[in-house]
Amino acid sequence: MIQTILDALSYGGLYGLAALGIGLVFGVMRLVNFAHGELIAIGAYLMIITIDLGLPLSIIIAVAGTAALALLMELSVFKRLRLAGPSVLLIASFGVSIFLQRSYEIIFGALPRSGQIAQWMSGVIEFGETTITRGSILTIILALALLAGMRFLVENTTLGLQIRAASSDFQTARLLGVRSNYVIGAAFVFSGVLAAAVAFVLVTQRGSVDPLFGVNITILALVGTVIGGLGSLQGAALGGFAVGATISLLNSFLGNYRVYTYTWLFILVIIVLLIRPSGLISNKAFKERA
Amino acid sequence: MSLLSVRDLQAGYGKVQVLFNGHIEVEPGELVGIVGPNGAGKSTFLGALAGSVRPSSGSIEFQGTSIQGKKPEDIVRLGLALVPEGRAIFTDLTVNENLLLGLTGRRDKSGSAKALAEVTELFPVLTSHRGHQAGLLSGGQQQQLAIARALVSEPKLLMLDEPSLGLSPTVIQDVFGVLNKIKDLGTAIIVVEQRAHLIMSIASRTLVMREGQVRATLSRADAKDETKLAAAYFGTGEDRE
Repeated sequence: MIQTILDALSYGGLYGLAALGIGLVFGVMRLVNFAHGELIAIGAYLMIITIDLGLPLSIIIAVAGTAALALLMELSVFKRLRLAGPSVLLIASFGVSIFLQRSYEIIFGALPRSGQIAQWMSGVIEFGETTITRGSILTIILALALLAGMRFLVENTTLGLQIRAASSDFQTARLLGVRSNYVIGAAFVFSGVLAAAVAFVLVTQRGSVDPLFGVNITILALVGTVIGGLGSLQGAALGGFAVGATISLLNSFLGNYRVYTYTWLFILVIIVLLIRPSGLISNKAFKERA
Repeated sequence: MSLLSVRDLQAGYGKVQVLFNGHIEVEPGELVGIVGPNGAGKSTFLGALAGSVRPSSGSIEFQGTSIQGKKPEDIVRLGLALVPEGRAIFTDLTVNENLLLGLTGRRDKSGSAKALAEVTELFPVLTSHRGHQAGLLSGGQQQQLAIARALVSEPKLLMLDEPSLGLSPTVIQDVFGVLNKIKDLGTAIIVVEQRAHLIMSIASRTLVMREGQVRATLSRADAKDETKLAAAYFGTGEDRE
Protein backbone atom coordinates (compact mmCIF):
# COMPACT_ATOMS: atom_id res chain seq x y z
CA MET A 1 0.00 0.00 0.00
CA ILE A 2 2.75 2.43 0.99
CA GLN A 3 4.69 1.38 -2.10
CA THR A 4 1.62 2.03 -4.26
CA ILE A 5 1.31 5.56 -2.91
CA LEU A 6 5.05 6.23 -3.27
CA ASP A 7 4.98 4.92 -6.83
CA ALA A 8 2.06 7.20 -7.64
CA LEU A 9 3.86 10.19 -6.13
CA SER A 10 7.12 9.47 -7.93
CA TYR A 11 5.40 8.86 -11.27
CA GLY A 12 3.40 12.01 -10.73
CA GLY A 13 6.54 13.98 -9.92
CA LEU A 14 8.31 12.64 -13.00
CA TYR A 15 5.43 13.49 -15.34
CA GLY A 16 5.05 16.83 -13.59
CA LEU A 17 8.67 17.68 -14.47
CA ALA A 18 8.11 16.68 -18.09
CA ALA A 19 4.90 18.71 -18.31
CA LEU A 20 6.50 21.76 -16.68
CA GLY A 21 9.28 21.66 -19.28
CA ILE A 22 6.70 21.67 -22.05
CA GLY A 23 4.57 24.29 -20.27
CA LEU A 24 7.46 26.73 -19.86
CA VAL A 25 8.08 26.90 -23.59
CA PHE A 26 4.38 26.93 -24.41
CA GLY A 27 3.90 29.83 -21.99
CA VAL A 28 6.36 32.22 -23.58
CA MET A 29 5.88 31.36 -27.24
CA ARG A 30 2.67 29.29 -27.61
CA LEU A 31 4.71 26.44 -29.00
CA VAL A 32 3.58 22.88 -28.23
CA ASN A 33 7.03 21.37 -28.49
CA PHE A 34 6.73 17.74 -29.56
CA ALA A 35 10.51 17.57 -29.78
CA HIS A 36 10.66 17.70 -25.97
CA GLY A 37 10.80 13.89 -26.07
CA GLU A 38 14.01 14.04 -28.09
CA LEU A 39 15.51 16.33 -25.43
CA ILE A 40 14.74 13.62 -22.87
CA ALA A 41 16.30 11.03 -25.21
CA ILE A 42 19.54 12.96 -25.70
CA GLY A 43 19.83 13.36 -21.94
CA ALA A 44 19.61 9.59 -21.55
CA TYR A 45 22.06 8.92 -24.39
CA LEU A 46 24.62 11.34 -22.97
CA MET A 47 24.33 9.74 -19.53
CA ILE A 48 24.80 6.22 -20.85
CA ILE A 49 27.72 7.20 -23.07
CA THR A 50 29.58 9.15 -20.39
CA ILE A 51 28.77 7.04 -17.32
CA ASP A 52 32.32 5.69 -17.22
CA LEU A 53 33.49 9.18 -16.28
CA GLY A 54 31.56 8.81 -13.02
CA LEU A 55 27.97 9.68 -12.20
CA PRO A 56 28.40 13.35 -11.18
CA LEU A 57 30.31 14.27 -14.32
CA SER A 58 27.93 12.22 -16.44
CA ILE A 59 24.94 14.11 -15.00
CA ILE A 60 26.61 17.47 -15.59
CA ILE A 61 27.36 16.55 -19.22
CA ALA A 62 23.79 15.31 -19.75
CA VAL A 63 22.21 18.45 -18.26
CA ALA A 64 24.50 20.80 -20.18
CA GLY A 65 24.11 18.87 -23.43
CA THR A 66 20.32 18.69 -23.18
CA ALA A 67 20.01 22.39 -22.35
CA ALA A 68 22.34 23.18 -25.26
CA LEU A 69 20.24 21.12 -27.68
CA ALA A 70 17.08 22.86 -26.44
CA LEU A 71 18.66 26.25 -27.08
CA LEU A 72 19.93 25.08 -30.47
CA MET A 73 16.36 24.08 -31.45
CA GLU A 74 15.17 27.58 -30.62
CA LEU A 75 18.02 29.36 -32.39
CA SER A 76 18.06 27.22 -35.52
CA VAL A 77 14.33 26.61 -36.08
CA PHE A 78 11.79 28.29 -33.84
CA LYS A 79 13.44 31.72 -33.77
CA ARG A 80 13.01 31.95 -37.52
CA LEU A 81 9.30 31.22 -37.18
CA ARG A 82 8.54 33.96 -34.62
CA LEU A 83 5.96 35.63 -36.79
CA ALA A 84 4.27 32.39 -37.80
CA GLY A 85 1.16 31.13 -36.04
CA PRO A 86 0.98 28.39 -33.38
CA SER A 87 -0.01 25.74 -35.95
CA VAL A 88 3.12 26.38 -38.01
CA LEU A 89 5.22 26.13 -34.85
CA LEU A 90 3.51 22.87 -33.94
CA ILE A 91 4.22 21.31 -37.34
CA ALA A 92 7.80 22.57 -37.18
CA SER A 93 8.23 20.87 -33.81
CA PHE A 94 7.03 17.58 -35.36
CA GLY A 95 9.72 18.10 -37.98
CA VAL A 96 12.41 18.72 -35.38
CA SER A 97 11.21 15.68 -33.44
CA ILE A 98 11.39 13.31 -36.41
CA PHE A 99 14.69 14.80 -37.59
CA LEU A 100 16.25 14.16 -34.17
CA GLN A 101 14.82 10.62 -33.89
CA ARG A 102 16.38 9.71 -37.26
CA SER A 103 19.63 11.43 -36.30
CA TYR A 104 19.81 9.37 -33.10
CA GLU A 105 19.23 6.25 -35.20
CA ILE A 106 22.16 7.15 -37.45
CA ILE A 107 24.47 8.27 -34.66
CA PHE A 108 23.62 5.82 -31.86
CA GLY A 109 21.91 2.99 -33.78
CA ALA A 110 18.29 1.92 -33.90
CA LEU A 111 18.68 -0.73 -31.22
CA PRO A 112 18.52 0.16 -27.53
CA ARG A 113 21.82 1.14 -25.91
CA SER A 114 22.01 -0.15 -22.40
CA GLY A 115 24.07 1.02 -19.47
CA GLN A 116 24.13 0.73 -15.72
CA ILE A 117 23.30 4.10 -14.25
CA ALA A 118 23.02 4.68 -10.52
CA GLN A 119 22.12 1.11 -9.69
CA TRP A 120 21.66 2.04 -6.03
CA MET A 121 18.40 3.68 -7.21
CA SER A 122 16.85 0.24 -7.76
CA GLY A 123 17.58 -1.07 -4.26
CA VAL A 124 15.00 -1.32 -1.51
CA ILE A 125 14.75 0.15 1.96
CA GLU A 126 13.19 -2.01 4.66
CA PHE A 127 10.98 -0.64 7.42
CA GLY A 128 10.22 -3.71 9.49
CA GLU A 129 7.57 -5.54 7.50
CA THR A 130 7.29 -3.16 4.60
CA THR A 131 9.90 -2.58 1.92
CA ILE A 132 9.95 0.35 -0.44
CA THR A 133 12.12 1.01 -3.47
CA ARG A 134 14.83 3.63 -3.20
CA GLY A 135 14.07 4.86 -6.68
CA SER A 136 10.59 6.05 -5.81
CA ILE A 137 11.80 8.00 -2.76
CA LEU A 138 14.69 9.59 -4.66
CA THR A 139 12.44 10.47 -7.60
CA ILE A 140 10.01 12.19 -5.25
CA ILE A 141 12.86 14.14 -3.64
CA LEU A 142 14.34 15.09 -7.00
CA ALA A 143 10.95 16.19 -8.36
CA LEU A 144 10.15 18.22 -5.23
CA ALA A 145 13.57 19.89 -5.30
CA LEU A 146 13.31 20.81 -8.97
CA LEU A 147 9.70 21.99 -8.70
CA ALA A 148 10.62 24.10 -5.68
CA GLY A 149 13.67 25.45 -7.51
CA MET A 150 11.62 26.35 -10.58
CA ARG A 151 8.98 27.91 -8.37
CA PHE A 152 11.58 30.08 -6.67
CA LEU A 153 13.05 31.07 -10.01
CA VAL A 154 9.70 31.98 -11.52
CA GLU A 155 8.27 33.71 -8.44
CA ASN A 156 11.29 35.45 -6.95
CA THR A 157 13.69 36.49 -9.68
CA THR A 158 13.59 39.24 -12.29
CA LEU A 159 13.93 36.68 -15.09
CA GLY A 160 11.02 34.71 -13.60
CA LEU A 161 8.88 37.85 -13.46
CA GLN A 162 9.70 38.52 -17.10
CA ILE A 163 8.80 34.92 -18.02
CA ARG A 164 5.46 35.23 -16.22
CA ALA A 165 4.72 38.55 -17.92
CA ALA A 166 5.72 37.20 -21.34
CA SER A 167 3.54 34.13 -20.78
CA SER A 168 0.41 36.16 -20.13
CA ASP A 169 0.91 38.99 -22.67
CA PHE A 170 4.02 38.79 -24.79
CA GLN A 171 3.39 41.99 -26.75
CA THR A 172 2.94 44.18 -23.68
CA ALA A 173 5.96 42.61 -22.01
CA ARG A 174 8.08 43.63 -25.02
CA LEU A 175 6.69 47.15 -24.92
CA LEU A 176 7.97 47.38 -21.35
CA GLY A 177 11.43 46.30 -22.45
CA VAL A 178 11.38 42.54 -21.86
CA ARG A 179 13.81 41.10 -24.41
CA SER A 180 11.89 38.45 -26.34
CA ASN A 181 14.88 36.38 -27.48
CA TYR A 182 16.38 36.33 -24.00
CA VAL A 183 13.18 35.20 -22.28
CA ILE A 184 12.38 32.54 -24.89
CA GLY A 185 15.98 31.28 -24.89
CA ALA A 186 15.87 31.01 -21.10
CA ALA A 187 12.60 29.06 -21.24
CA PHE A 188 14.18 26.58 -23.68
CA VAL A 189 17.26 26.16 -21.47
CA PHE A 190 15.10 25.47 -18.40
CA SER A 191 12.97 23.01 -20.34
CA GLY A 192 16.21 21.27 -21.37
CA VAL A 193 17.36 21.04 -17.75
CA LEU A 194 13.99 19.57 -16.74
CA ALA A 195 14.17 17.11 -19.65
CA ALA A 196 17.59 15.94 -18.44
CA ALA A 197 16.16 15.31 -14.96
CA VAL A 198 13.36 13.23 -16.48
CA ALA A 199 15.96 11.38 -18.56
CA PHE A 200 17.99 10.56 -15.45
CA VAL A 201 15.02 8.97 -13.65
CA LEU A 202 13.80 7.09 -16.71
CA VAL A 203 17.20 5.73 -17.64
CA THR A 204 17.85 4.44 -14.13
CA GLN A 205 14.47 2.65 -14.29
CA ARG A 206 14.85 1.19 -17.77
CA GLY A 207 18.59 0.75 -18.04
CA SER A 208 18.57 1.46 -21.76
CA VAL A 209 17.79 4.16 -24.30
CA ASP A 210 16.52 4.02 -27.88
CA PRO A 211 15.65 6.77 -30.41
CA LEU A 212 11.98 6.84 -29.31
CA PHE A 213 12.89 6.90 -25.61
CA GLY A 214 11.10 10.17 -24.78
CA VAL A 215 8.06 9.96 -27.06
CA ASN A 216 5.65 8.22 -24.72
CA ILE A 217 6.19 10.41 -21.67
CA THR A 218 6.08 13.55 -23.82
CA ILE A 219 2.66 12.73 -25.26
CA LEU A 220 1.31 11.94 -21.81
CA ALA A 221 2.89 15.06 -20.32
CA LEU A 222 1.26 17.11 -23.10
CA VAL A 223 -2.06 15.65 -22.03
CA GLY A 224 -1.11 16.77 -18.53
CA THR A 225 -0.47 20.36 -19.60
CA VAL A 226 -3.88 20.43 -21.30
CA ILE A 227 -5.64 19.07 -18.21
CA GLY A 228 -3.75 21.47 -15.98
CA GLY A 229 -4.64 24.47 -18.10
CA LEU A 230 -2.58 25.75 -20.99
CA GLY A 231 -0.68 28.89 -20.22
CA SER A 232 -0.33 28.26 -16.49
CA LEU A 233 2.97 26.87 -15.18
CA GLN A 234 1.39 25.64 -11.96
CA GLY A 235 -1.34 24.04 -14.02
CA ALA A 236 1.19 22.27 -16.25
CA ALA A 237 3.09 20.79 -13.30
CA LEU A 238 -0.14 19.82 -11.55
CA GLY A 239 -1.68 18.33 -14.70
CA GLY A 240 1.48 16.32 -15.40
CA PHE A 241 1.46 15.11 -11.81
CA ALA A 242 -2.20 14.07 -12.10
CA VAL A 243 -1.58 12.10 -15.28
CA GLY A 244 1.54 10.35 -13.92
CA ALA A 245 -0.04 9.49 -10.58
CA THR A 246 -3.20 8.23 -12.30
CA ILE A 247 -1.21 5.95 -14.62
CA SER A 248 0.69 4.53 -11.68
CA LEU A 249 -2.47 3.96 -9.61
CA LEU A 250 -4.34 2.40 -12.54
CA ASN A 251 -1.40 0.06 -13.14
CA SER A 252 -1.54 -1.06 -9.51
CA PHE A 253 -5.30 -1.43 -9.24
CA LEU A 254 -5.97 -3.01 -12.62
CA GLY A 255 -3.47 -5.78 -11.98
CA ASN A 256 -3.82 -8.26 -14.83
CA TYR A 257 -6.06 -5.82 -16.70
CA ARG A 258 -3.39 -3.15 -16.86
CA VAL A 259 -3.53 -3.18 -20.67
CA TYR A 260 -6.60 -0.97 -20.12
CA THR A 261 -4.62 1.63 -18.15
CA TYR A 262 -4.55 4.14 -20.98
CA THR A 263 -8.20 3.53 -21.84
CA TRP A 264 -9.19 4.48 -18.31
CA LEU A 265 -6.73 7.35 -18.26
CA PHE A 266 -8.23 8.94 -21.34
CA ILE A 267 -11.78 8.33 -20.11
CA LEU A 268 -10.80 10.33 -17.02
CA VAL A 269 -9.14 12.99 -19.18
CA ILE A 270 -12.33 13.37 -21.22
CA ILE A 271 -14.42 13.68 -18.06
CA VAL A 272 -12.09 16.34 -16.63
CA LEU A 273 -12.18 18.34 -19.87
CA LEU A 274 -15.97 18.06 -20.08
CA ILE A 275 -16.28 19.50 -16.59
CA ARG A 276 -13.46 22.05 -16.92
CA PRO A 277 -12.79 22.69 -20.61
CA SER A 278 -10.04 25.20 -19.89
CA GLY A 279 -8.20 22.89 -17.50
CA LEU A 280 -7.86 22.56 -13.76
CA ILE A 281 -6.14 25.93 -13.35
CA SER A 282 -7.39 28.25 -16.02
CA ASN A 283 -5.23 31.26 -16.63
CA LYS A 284 -7.54 34.25 -16.96
CA ALA A 285 -4.75 36.37 -18.33
CA PHE A 286 -3.98 33.77 -20.99
CA LYS A 287 -4.28 35.43 -24.35
CA GLU A 288 -4.61 33.61 -27.62
CA ARG A 289 -1.91 34.91 -29.91
CA ALA A 290 -2.82 35.71 -33.48
CA MET B 1 15.51 69.78 -33.28
CA SER B 2 12.25 67.97 -32.66
CA LEU B 3 12.13 65.18 -30.14
CA LEU B 4 10.13 63.05 -32.55
CA SER B 5 9.86 63.59 -36.28
CA VAL B 6 7.80 61.20 -38.39
CA ARG B 7 7.25 61.41 -42.14
CA ASP B 8 5.16 59.47 -44.66
CA LEU B 9 4.71 56.52 -42.34
CA GLN B 10 2.87 53.50 -43.72
CA ALA B 11 2.02 50.40 -41.72
CA GLY B 12 -0.47 47.54 -41.48
CA TYR B 13 -1.03 43.93 -40.54
CA GLY B 14 0.00 41.34 -43.12
CA LYS B 15 -1.44 42.42 -46.44
CA VAL B 16 -3.93 44.82 -44.89
CA GLN B 17 -2.56 48.33 -44.86
CA VAL B 18 -4.10 50.51 -42.16
CA LEU B 19 -1.84 53.53 -41.97
CA PHE B 20 -1.31 55.32 -45.28
CA ASN B 21 0.21 58.61 -44.25
CA GLY B 22 1.31 59.16 -40.67
CA HIS B 23 3.31 62.25 -39.86
CA ILE B 24 3.90 64.07 -36.62
CA GLU B 25 6.40 66.40 -34.97
CA VAL B 26 6.73 66.52 -31.20
CA GLU B 27 8.88 69.03 -29.32
CA PRO B 28 10.40 68.19 -25.92
CA GLY B 29 7.86 68.64 -23.10
CA GLU B 30 4.94 69.10 -25.47
CA LEU B 31 1.52 67.41 -25.23
CA VAL B 32 0.10 66.48 -28.63
CA GLY B 33 -3.33 64.92 -29.19
CA ILE B 34 -4.49 62.59 -31.96
CA VAL B 35 -8.22 62.25 -32.58
CA GLY B 36 -10.34 60.60 -35.22
CA PRO B 37 -13.14 58.09 -35.71
CA ASN B 38 -12.85 54.33 -35.16
CA GLY B 39 -10.63 52.62 -37.68
CA ALA B 40 -8.77 55.80 -38.57
CA GLY B 41 -5.44 54.11 -37.88
CA LYS B 42 -4.61 55.88 -34.61
CA SER B 43 -3.59 52.77 -32.67
CA THR B 44 -1.62 51.44 -35.65
CA PHE B 45 0.20 54.79 -35.80
CA LEU B 46 1.23 54.56 -32.13
CA GLY B 47 2.07 50.86 -32.53
CA ALA B 48 4.37 51.68 -35.45
CA LEU B 49 6.14 54.34 -33.37
CA ALA B 50 6.58 51.94 -30.42
CA GLY B 51 7.79 49.10 -32.65
CA SER B 52 4.93 46.67 -32.05
CA VAL B 53 3.66 47.20 -35.61
CA ARG B 54 6.31 47.07 -38.33
CA PRO B 55 6.19 50.09 -40.66
CA SER B 56 6.36 49.26 -44.37
CA SER B 57 7.79 52.64 -45.34
CA GLY B 58 8.44 56.14 -44.08
CA SER B 59 10.83 57.57 -41.53
CA ILE B 60 10.74 57.82 -37.73
CA GLU B 61 13.40 59.92 -36.09
CA PHE B 62 13.59 60.05 -32.33
CA GLN B 63 16.14 62.46 -30.86
CA GLY B 64 17.78 62.73 -34.24
CA THR B 65 18.31 59.01 -34.86
CA SER B 66 16.16 56.66 -36.91
CA ILE B 67 14.20 54.09 -34.89
CA GLN B 68 12.33 52.72 -37.91
CA GLY B 69 12.20 48.92 -37.77
CA LYS B 70 13.68 48.63 -34.26
CA LYS B 71 12.20 46.14 -31.78
CA PRO B 72 9.80 47.44 -29.10
CA GLU B 73 12.17 46.35 -26.32
CA ASP B 74 14.91 48.51 -27.83
CA ILE B 75 12.69 51.50 -28.53
CA VAL B 76 11.50 51.73 -24.91
CA ARG B 77 15.14 51.78 -23.80
CA LEU B 78 15.69 54.82 -26.01
CA GLY B 79 12.99 56.67 -24.05
CA LEU B 80 9.78 56.17 -26.02
CA ALA B 81 7.11 54.35 -24.00
CA LEU B 82 3.60 53.28 -25.00
CA VAL B 83 0.61 52.68 -22.72
CA PRO B 84 -1.47 50.42 -24.98
CA GLU B 85 -5.20 50.57 -25.49
CA GLY B 86 -7.19 48.74 -22.84
CA ARG B 87 -4.35 49.38 -20.34
CA ALA B 88 -2.84 45.88 -20.79
CA ILE B 89 -1.75 45.53 -17.20
CA PHE B 90 -0.81 42.05 -16.00
CA THR B 91 -3.92 41.24 -13.99
CA ASP B 92 -2.54 38.12 -12.33
CA LEU B 93 0.62 39.88 -11.15
CA THR B 94 0.70 42.23 -8.18
CA VAL B 95 0.73 46.01 -8.52
CA ASN B 96 4.35 45.99 -7.40
CA GLU B 97 5.34 43.33 -9.94
CA ASN B 98 3.72 45.37 -12.71
CA LEU B 99 5.79 48.38 -11.66
CA LEU B 100 8.98 46.29 -11.46
CA LEU B 101 8.37 45.11 -15.03
CA GLY B 102 8.28 48.76 -16.06
CA LEU B 103 11.86 49.08 -14.80
CA THR B 104 12.98 46.59 -17.48
CA GLY B 105 12.86 49.40 -20.02
CA ARG B 106 15.36 51.57 -18.13
CA ARG B 107 18.78 52.04 -19.55
CA ASP B 108 20.21 53.28 -16.29
CA LYS B 109 19.30 50.74 -13.60
CA SER B 110 20.89 52.73 -10.77
CA GLY B 111 18.02 55.23 -10.65
CA SER B 112 15.34 52.54 -10.33
CA ALA B 113 14.48 53.09 -6.66
CA LYS B 114 14.22 56.86 -7.14
CA ALA B 115 12.01 56.47 -10.21
CA LEU B 116 9.69 54.10 -8.34
CA ALA B 117 9.43 56.56 -5.44
CA GLU B 118 8.68 59.49 -7.74
CA VAL B 119 6.01 57.60 -9.61
CA THR B 120 4.24 56.36 -6.51
CA GLU B 121 4.23 59.95 -5.28
CA LEU B 122 2.37 60.86 -8.46
CA PHE B 123 -0.09 57.99 -7.95
CA PRO B 124 -0.46 57.64 -4.16
CA VAL B 125 -3.31 55.14 -4.54
CA LEU B 126 -0.86 52.56 -5.91
CA THR B 127 1.17 52.57 -2.69
CA SER B 128 -1.70 51.26 -0.59
CA HIS B 129 -2.42 48.51 -3.13
CA ARG B 130 1.18 47.52 -3.75
CA GLY B 131 0.89 43.87 -2.77
CA HIS B 132 -2.55 43.33 -4.29
CA GLN B 133 -3.28 41.52 -7.50
CA ALA B 134 -3.54 44.16 -10.22
CA GLY B 135 -6.72 42.57 -11.59
CA LEU B 136 -8.51 43.57 -8.38
CA LEU B 137 -7.97 47.30 -8.98
CA SER B 138 -10.76 49.47 -10.36
CA GLY B 139 -10.61 50.58 -13.99
CA GLY B 140 -9.27 54.00 -13.05
CA GLN B 141 -6.63 52.52 -10.77
CA GLN B 142 -5.58 50.09 -13.50
CA GLN B 143 -5.14 53.00 -15.90
CA GLN B 144 -3.04 54.81 -13.32
CA LEU B 145 -0.96 51.66 -12.88
CA ALA B 146 -0.47 51.35 -16.63
CA ILE B 147 0.74 54.97 -16.81
CA ALA B 148 2.93 54.55 -13.73
CA ARG B 149 4.44 51.36 -15.17
CA ALA B 150 5.42 53.21 -18.33
CA LEU B 151 6.74 56.18 -16.36
CA VAL B 152 9.23 54.24 -14.22
CA SER B 153 11.32 53.76 -17.34
CA GLU B 154 11.58 57.60 -17.34
CA PRO B 155 10.61 58.06 -20.98
CA LYS B 156 11.28 61.29 -22.81
CA LEU B 157 8.09 60.69 -24.78
CA LEU B 158 5.06 58.92 -23.31
CA MET B 159 2.36 57.70 -25.68
CA LEU B 160 -1.12 56.76 -24.47
CA ASP B 161 -3.76 54.96 -26.51
CA GLU B 162 -7.25 56.00 -25.38
CA PRO B 163 -6.58 56.38 -21.67
CA SER B 164 -10.23 57.37 -21.05
CA LEU B 165 -11.62 54.09 -22.41
CA GLY B 166 -14.14 52.59 -19.99
CA LEU B 167 -13.59 55.17 -17.27
CA SER B 168 -16.20 57.36 -15.54
CA PRO B 169 -16.09 61.12 -16.20
CA THR B 170 -14.62 62.02 -12.80
CA VAL B 171 -11.91 59.38 -13.13
CA ILE B 172 -11.13 60.66 -16.63
CA GLN B 173 -10.65 64.15 -15.15
CA ASP B 174 -8.18 62.69 -12.64
CA VAL B 175 -6.23 60.83 -15.33
CA PHE B 176 -5.97 63.91 -17.53
CA GLY B 177 -4.95 65.97 -14.51
CA VAL B 178 -2.08 63.58 -13.97
CA LEU B 179 -1.10 63.80 -17.66
CA ASN B 180 -0.85 67.57 -17.27
CA LYS B 181 1.40 67.08 -14.25
CA ILE B 182 3.63 64.63 -16.14
CA LYS B 183 3.95 67.14 -18.96
CA ASP B 184 4.89 69.88 -16.50
CA LEU B 185 7.64 67.62 -15.17
CA GLY B 186 9.16 67.75 -18.66
CA THR B 187 7.95 64.56 -20.38
CA ALA B 188 6.52 64.96 -23.86
CA ILE B 189 3.20 63.16 -24.39
CA ILE B 190 1.13 61.91 -27.32
CA VAL B 191 -2.46 61.01 -26.45
CA VAL B 192 -4.81 59.21 -28.80
CA GLU B 193 -8.44 59.91 -27.86
CA GLN B 194 -11.95 59.45 -29.15
CA ARG B 195 -13.11 62.28 -26.93
CA ALA B 196 -11.87 65.15 -29.07
CA HIS B 197 -12.88 68.04 -26.79
CA LEU B 198 -11.24 66.50 -23.77
CA ILE B 199 -7.83 66.17 -25.36
CA MET B 200 -7.95 69.41 -27.30
CA SER B 201 -8.41 71.35 -24.09
CA ILE B 202 -5.02 70.26 -22.76
CA ALA B 203 -3.00 69.58 -25.94
CA SER B 204 -0.96 72.29 -27.60
CA ARG B 205 -1.83 70.79 -30.99
CA THR B 206 -4.20 68.03 -32.04
CA LEU B 207 -3.88 65.92 -35.16
CA VAL B 208 -7.04 64.66 -36.82
CA MET B 209 -6.80 61.24 -38.47
CA ARG B 210 -9.21 59.69 -40.90
CA GLU B 211 -8.93 56.63 -43.15
CA GLY B 212 -5.32 56.00 -42.26
CA GLN B 213 -4.09 59.53 -42.84
CA VAL B 214 -3.34 62.59 -40.78
CA ARG B 215 -5.79 65.04 -42.35
CA ALA B 216 -5.47 68.18 -40.26
CA THR B 217 -3.68 69.79 -37.35
CA LEU B 218 -5.81 71.88 -35.03
CA SER B 219 -4.56 74.44 -32.54
CA ARG B 220 -6.06 74.87 -29.11
CA ALA B 221 -8.07 77.82 -30.40
CA ASP B 222 -9.58 75.62 -33.11
CA ALA B 223 -10.93 73.35 -30.41
CA LYS B 224 -13.56 75.94 -29.54
CA ASP B 225 -14.60 76.22 -33.18
CA GLU B 226 -17.17 73.44 -33.68
CA THR B 227 -17.36 73.78 -37.44
CA LYS B 228 -13.62 73.53 -37.90
CA LEU B 229 -13.46 70.43 -35.72
CA ALA B 230 -16.43 68.78 -37.41
CA ALA B 231 -15.01 69.52 -40.84
CA ALA B 232 -11.67 67.94 -39.97
CA TYR B 233 -13.27 65.00 -38.19
CA PHE B 234 -15.85 64.02 -40.75
CA GLY B 235 -14.15 65.33 -43.86
CA THR B 236 -16.89 67.77 -44.84
CA GLY B 237 -15.20 70.74 -46.40
CA GLU B 238 -11.54 71.54 -46.97
CA ASP B 239 -9.44 69.66 -44.57
CA ARG B 240 -6.32 69.21 -46.62
CA GLU B 241 -3.36 70.77 -44.96
